[in-house]
Amino acid sequence: MHAQSRSRSRLGAELSGWAQHIESVARGHGLTFHPVEFELLDASDVNGLASYGGFPVRYPSWRFGMEFERLEKGYQWGLSKIYELVINNDPVVAYLVRSNSLLEQKLVMAHVFGHADFFRNNCWFAGTERKMLDKMAAHATAVRRRIDRLGIDKVERFLDLALSVENLLDPYLALRRTLQGRSVPGSSAPGGAQPSGAPDFARCQPPTYDILGYLCAHAPLEDWQREILTLVREEAYYFQPQRMTKIMNEGWASYWHSRILTGGVLDASEIVDFADCHSGATLTAPGRLNPYKLGIELFRYAERRGEDLMRLRRVHDDASLIDELVDDEFVASQKMFVYTRNTRSGKSEVEGRDGRAVKERLLGELSWGGLPRIELVGVDEGGALRLEHHHDGRDLQLAKARETLLRVSALWSGPVVLDTREDNAPRRLRCRGGEVSVEERTVARDTDDDVHESAHDNGA
Amino acid sequence: MFRIEADRARFREIVRGKIREDLKKYLSTPELIARQGQHAVSVPIPQIELPQFCFGQNEKGGVGQGPGQKGDEVEGEGSGKDGAGAAGEGEGQHILEVEVELEELAEMLGRELELPRIEPRGKRQLLSDGGRYSGVSNAGPDSLRHFRRSYRQALKRTISAGAWDPAAPRVVPIRDDFRYRARRIAPTPESSAVVIHMMDVSGSMGREQKEIVRIEAFWIDTWLRSQYQNLEVVYIVHDAVAKIVDHDSFFHLRESGGTKISSAYELCLKLIGEKHRPEDWNIYPFHYSDGDNWSARDTEKCVSILRDEILPRVNQFCYGQVKSAYGSGQFKKDLDEALGGDERVVTASVADRGDIHTAIRAFLGKGR
Repeated sequence: MHAQSRSRSRLGAELSGWAQHIESVARGHGLTFHPVEFELLDASDVNGLASYGGFPVRYPSWRFGMEFERLEKGYQWGLSKIYELVINNDPVVAYLVRSNSLLEQKLVMAHVFGHADFFRNNCWFAGTERKMLDKMAAHATAVRRRIDRLGIDKVERFLDLALSVENLLDPYLALRRTLQGRSVPGSSAPGGAQPSGAPDFARCQPPTYDILGYLCAHAPLEDWQREILTLVREEAYYFQPQRMTKIMNEGWASYWHSRILTGGVLDASEIVDFADCHSGATLTAPGRLNPYKLGIELFRYAERRGEDLMRLRRVHDDASLIDELVDDEFVASQKMFVYTRNTRSGKSEVEGRDGRAVKERLLGELSWGGLPRIELVGVDEGGALRLEHHHDGRDLQLAKARETLLRVSALWSGPVVLDTREDNAPRRLRCRGGEVSVEERTVARDTDDDVHESAHDNGA
Repeated sequence: MFRIEADRARFREIVRGKIREDLKKYLSTPELIARQGQHAVSVPIPQIELPQFCFGQNEKGGVGQGPGQKGDEVEGEGSGKDGAGAAGEGEGQHILEVEVELEELAEMLGRELELPRIEPRGKRQLLSDGGRYSGVSNAGPDSLRHFRRSYRQALKRTISAGAWDPAAPRVVPIRDDFRYRARRIAPTPESSAVVIHMMDVSGSMGREQKEIVRIEAFWIDTWLRSQYQNLEVVYIVHDAVAKIVDHDSFFHLRESGGTKISSAYELCLKLIGEKHRPEDWNIYPFHYSDGDNWSARDTEKCVSILRDEILPRVNQFCYGQVKSAYGSGQFKKDLDEALGGDERVVTASVADRGDIHTAIRAFLGKGR
């Protein structure tokens, strides 16, 4: 937020008037949030900012450049346009695109207050770093300093290794810490001395899902490497809650922009445009699930059932909200169905509309943040990391798993073993010395067998 | 935007490195040709992503929304919740297309095959003088008098002589004040070239043979385009008779019947005589066939047209012989025998796609 004033500026009188008005309406509905700062942004800068996850300053990485390239292409071809960007921070920072119409700006502002309320009150966000804007800038500086000293190639290579394992974390870790601290926000005074930021890793021991944390604590890394791995982990834990609550978060914001705007903020002449704009955002393409749409419908359904919406938004993530709310009636009213891939034609076909099946499938997809569940079960005598994939019917993509394993092994500076299943048969991927071999395990997890094997490894 | 441009530049650098690494592969596939635009090709780059653990193919579908009976095909497919489920991710082949300027591609090609830059032909160093009246001189015809400059000159003189009176601003020019527009001689090297692709489309040239020609022609054009400001491409097909066709028909036309190579050479000669004269053009005839000709008589005729008429007028003549199941490959032997000593003639034989880059190197390696 230093040299960027070139293209970002405060709102003009008209927009800030609307921002204040919408804020007071939102508060009147009982929404609570950290102060929200809106900034106006040129359309040409939106994609750049979005590539950085909304933050003006990130460490240098080609991966952001690739994301930028993708967004620019999408924008040029008219496939996508970004309306809003909101950062979970105190103050909440939200960007308005200068070229939007006044109606769109009002809609986005109302939407932003919905997000801001969600960030503040949802339990998954309780432990998130609220000074992330500064933190990201500090991370960027740290990485840049390392680059100045060690050269871009060396640092980039390590950063790429680190980014390959950024999703090897325990999504429930921060929440557990919050609950132990008995500081579910809203019930107690927020702020105070509750711990925030990425969970501490100093005492990280297997078995754990926080593989990233274990590597930070125990991998034989140089100081600069540990610094980079630690900051990658910190950012990963910061973004994790957004992954777990995407449907809810968008649904909540959409629910509120709709309620706030139609509750007096718009004048009659704007209603039709609003309906157009709103339905554009919540449109469901045939056969697709739109998180905005699913989310807003969940909250409306809960409202009809007389549920306490404020409670729902506080205590749930996507999976648990769906678990609580989705029933046959909801599935039928939303015309939801389960589809499967027809292996012969390669096409996807509608399988059925049974409420329970739909729900089960949805929950399966959402569990564990939509990621494969991989646990560090131990370190054997040979020094090999023992990873286990808790198989839920979905196989890993083995080619990528091999590549990833190589990188874990490079970070660990030692062998890594991953147990998984393929086509229902147990598989063991063993990575040692820069090579990965796949073994078929006929005996399912026999500990004696393992000890024997590792002894054999030592001899070799 | 602020720093993202630096990240994008870094990404592009990596991508270019990847393309450079894989250039040999691209040299033998038509992949890039289909993606050619006006000034750039878009190159598909698989797997540049960072690997992470993710779900594979046996993911059993997902949840959708909308109408449809059991068994109906799902349009658009995939629970469009990106992130969760990651449906539709298939083999993880996120293919990203990256635009590469043709110029840059040519540079990569040049580096990979160690192609020398083309040196202008001796007599072509004639500098054409661009006739633009962008200069000013002290003498010239009245019709080219530069009014503003003349006035300025007169004004300067008046002021420095102390005769300037703001109350009565009058300027009277004298002879020495007049300035005239002048032609500035801007020598530019001759920079036009024409490529004449000739191909045998008789029955014996199959699909694969044409594909090879197409790939070769693409790279040849790309390289030459980087060497000349203005490149024209002419396509000639022949069996027993020759005709000029457009780009599309060149590669898709299929004729049957005999092969008379001289017909193509005659047409080529006609072009050189009429439209693309050697005084104005650098000329590059390329001929591709599977090596069969109608008769030894016709081959003799070809050789004499080449030697007496075509070669003196062109930069270089290239013959690429593509191996086919039916071709005898005799024509290359005959050419080599008759004209082998002439450095303006390059012949190459291509057995399969893997040979394409050797042929290109032979054709373009002389820097003519």
